[in-house]
Amino acid sequence: MLEIKNLHVKLADEDRVIINGLNLSVKVGEVHAIMGPNGSGKSTLSYVLSGREGYEVTEGSVTYRGEDLLAMAPDVRASKGVFLAFQYPIEIPGVATMQFLKVALNAQRKARGEKEMTTPDFMRYVKERAARLNISPDMLKRPVNVGFSGGEKKRAEILQMAVLEPALCVLDETDSGLDIDAMRVVADGVNGLRSPDRAMIVITHYQRLLDYIVPDFVHVLSQGRIVKSGDKALALELEANGYAEFAGEAA
Amino acid sequence: MNVIVPKTAAELNYGLSLPHRKMEDWRWTDLRQLIDRPYPPRQTVVAKGVEKLIKSSPFAKVASARMVFVNGHFAAEHSQLKNDELASKVKIEEPVIAMNAAFATDGARLRISGNADTPIELLFVSTDAAPRTIATRNVIEIEKEASVTVIETHMGEGAYLANCVTEISLGESAKLDRIKVELESGEAIHLSHTHVTLARNSVLNDFTLTSGAGVNRQNGTVEFQGQGIDAKVSGAFMLGGEQHADTRLVIDHQQPHCTSRELFKCVMDDHARGIFQGKVMVRKDAQKTDGKQSSHALLLSETAEFDAKPELEIFADDVVCGHGATSGDLNHDHLFYLMSRGIPEAEAKSLLIAAFVGEAFDVVAHEGIKEALVKFSRKWLTQHRRAG
Repeated sequence: MLEIKNLHVKLADEDRVIINGLNLSVKVGEVHAIMGPNGSGKSTLSYVLSGREGYEVTEGSVTYRGEDLLAMAPDVRASKGVFLAFQYPIEIPGVATMQFLKVALNAQRKARGEKEMTTPDFMRYVKERAARLNISPDMLKRPVNVGFSGGEKKRAEILQMAVLEPALCVLDETDSGLDIDAMRVVADGVNGLRSPDRAMIVITHYQRLLDYIVPDFVHVLSQGRIVKSGDKALALELEANGYAEFAGEAA
Repeated sequence: MNVIVPKTAAELNYGLSLPHRKMEDWRWTDLRQLIDRPYPPRQTVVAKGVEKLIKSSPFAKVASARMVFVNGHFAAEHSQLKNDELASKVKIEEPVIAMNAAFATDGARLRISGNADTPIELLFVSTDAAPRTIATRNVIEIEKEASVTVIETHMGEGAYLANCVTEISLGESAKLDRIKVELESGEAIHLSHTHVTLARNSVLNDFTLTSGAGVNRQNGTVEFQGQGIDAKVSGAFMLGGEQHADTRLVIDHQQPHCTSRELFKCVMDDHARGIFQGKVMVRKDAQKTDGKQSSHALLLSETAEFDAKPELEIFADDVVCGHGATSGDLNHDHLFYLMSRGIPEAEAKSLLIAAFVGEAFDVVAHEGIKEALVKFSRKWLTQHRRAG
């Protein structure tokens, strides 16, 4: 589904190289965890996959379902099924959450040549999913992420994922800022979306999230490249020993 | 006013001196430059296409009692209300008012008592092929404890100069929701002055949409003459092409324990230029005044311009007052977030622009009117912002 080959990324305005020869292959149905210390390039990877401005790919390729992902605009990537759950979801004053979800879903359906969903159908569709994530109808009326607590923002991201039903989910530090109860709700939401038709990349600094979202593969990212891969046992190993042993490997 | 010394052809025609850039309040709107031809007063009242214009009001579907003014004259045949007789009281030496005093032909005269449930729409329609001055003077008196919603809609076709002075007084505990929309012809010049006096415990919610005329200058003065007054004055600019709009607002706190809020959201595209000059004056006796003013501009092109001149003049020592002005383009993070959810760029931009101006609509309590404003802003965006 996703094939990242020898990816090199630098900041557009600076010479600083952030991703430095990264290779990753994700098949449909798989859940991959990417772990690494701060500054190892985890978030940059998520932004490059979703098409955020400010990064320049200097070498390598990203192929998604046989197509060049990097050549697509962010909205095209989304309509083809790529979804990024943001580490810091963005507040958008003046745009109600419900309206935002409807515009987004219908834009994606339109792009895929599907019929737009009618308002009553859509309301039912969202409310069902919102209830599973403990998201109140009141929250749906509020502007996107404005005044939401950290936990509410993360749940709102997962709600968007549940509504848009992407094929490739990239979760960037979805556990950051969450207490255990909130993390459980979010993890249940994510697990509910696990499917043989969907792949996930779970980016995290800590192992604890992986107790709830159990990955098929774990990769260690250090200095912009994957330095070790394994199964879920690798995450536990990292939890015990820290990232120190990988600090120098990519240099 | 200064000694009248006509300088230009237009001035010779008016017989009076036009305000110009050396006058501080007019530094951005030099009428000597902007009024490039004479606009003689209109003589006859023959008008075509009035029905069509009336129907194109954004509020055509809002249930209201209407008073229509065609080329500066009350048109009873298009109106549901009769015109009252009220004397003008404002004696301010100000160029727009002076010009209006010289040329005003008619205007709405309204005296409101009790609670008017249905909004009143004052519709000013201008239709003429030749450049003309069309001046109206409105007097609205809202009696003690009365409340009303008044819409002021300005529309027209062709090149004309509209000058509209509106005098409003609110009695004790009276309430006015006022919505003005300036949707004049793109070739038109719109000059206006709105003077509001507020008595004790009265409530004013005022909103102005500025989007039509090629040149617009709107003056507003709000006098707080009693205690316990709550006034909100908001506005939105939606400008493109070569449009020029200058709003000068004076909030004059004369008595203690009053609250004022101003919020202006201005969208400028192409070569449009928006100006907001907002002054909050707190006089010596106006202790415990709570006044806040802010203007925010969204510049959609490199060549659009916004000038803000916020002023606070405070002579009382126990007040809470503040002002803020911002100006910038669309927030890239917002845009990316929307696009990352599959919303194409043009649609995402429209959504963000509509959200930006929409904040100024919040002062409008009437749902139907607010909806009409939202609809208008969407229409403006689709017509104005071509896809891509």
